[in-house]
Amino acid sequence: MHKKFVRSYDSLEAIYEFTENILASRNFAQAIKFPVHFAMEELFTNMVKYNPGNVNDILLDIRASNESITVSLTDFDVDAFDVTSSRDIKIDAPLEQRKVGGLGLHLIQKMVDTLKYEYSDRQSTVTFTKGTG
Amino acid sequence: MFHIDFSTEGEIVCSGRLDAAQCAIAQAFMDSVAETCIVDFSNLEYISSAGLGVLLKTQKRLAESGAQLKIINVNNHIHDVFRFSGFHAIFEIEAKQR
Repeated sequence: MHKKFVRSYDSLEAIYEFTENILASRNFAQAIKFPVHFAMEELFTNMVKYNPGNVNDILLDIRASNESITVSLTDFDVDAFDVTSSRDIKIDAPLEQRKVGGLGLHLIQKMVDTLKYEYSDRQSTVTFTKGTG
Repeated sequence: MFHIDFSTEGEIVCSGRLDAAQCAIAQAFMDSVAETCIVDFSNLEYISSAGLGVLLKTQKRLAESGAQLKIINVNNHIHDVFRFSGFHAIFEIEAKQR
């Protein structure tokens, strides 16, 4: 199933409900649903944050099978930004050296099974999968 | 929906989903905290990286005066988020009793 959402943090509630309806219909456990919601919302939030003036909606596509959940987010008329590149996040640093921000992509990479980035004709597509086993 | 307030015992109580859309509310509340405080996550279902930023910014500010946030009743999923973020080293965190 796919749907376009307005580029705004205010879309997060509607995205949650859209996704939850799909996942709940298949009775996935919360241990599967939480990282899917997390990764999707972080990726959407990044698209809003880094291209605030873009007037295009963001396309969300969710496919669920018994074995896995695949989610794609597509952003239109944007510069490339590879979310799969490694992040220099020092999670062991003491409090005084910790910086606010930058954890989202690090956490996604920890919580999903695959993460893929494609860029063509100024169109960014991020796809991740989460196994149900 | 996200909600944050003080309990009658003086603890900070959070409920709902702390996503990027709700962080301004959470940060405005946390900016009013000036001393060590317990934060009860019993009814918090979800936290985003933006929510982690609110906690981290507050903890850094409080540490300058020797105070801190202590987070209790954290559900398994948020506990994983804290673990992957290295928050166990910079917050006192207590998991939810099963």
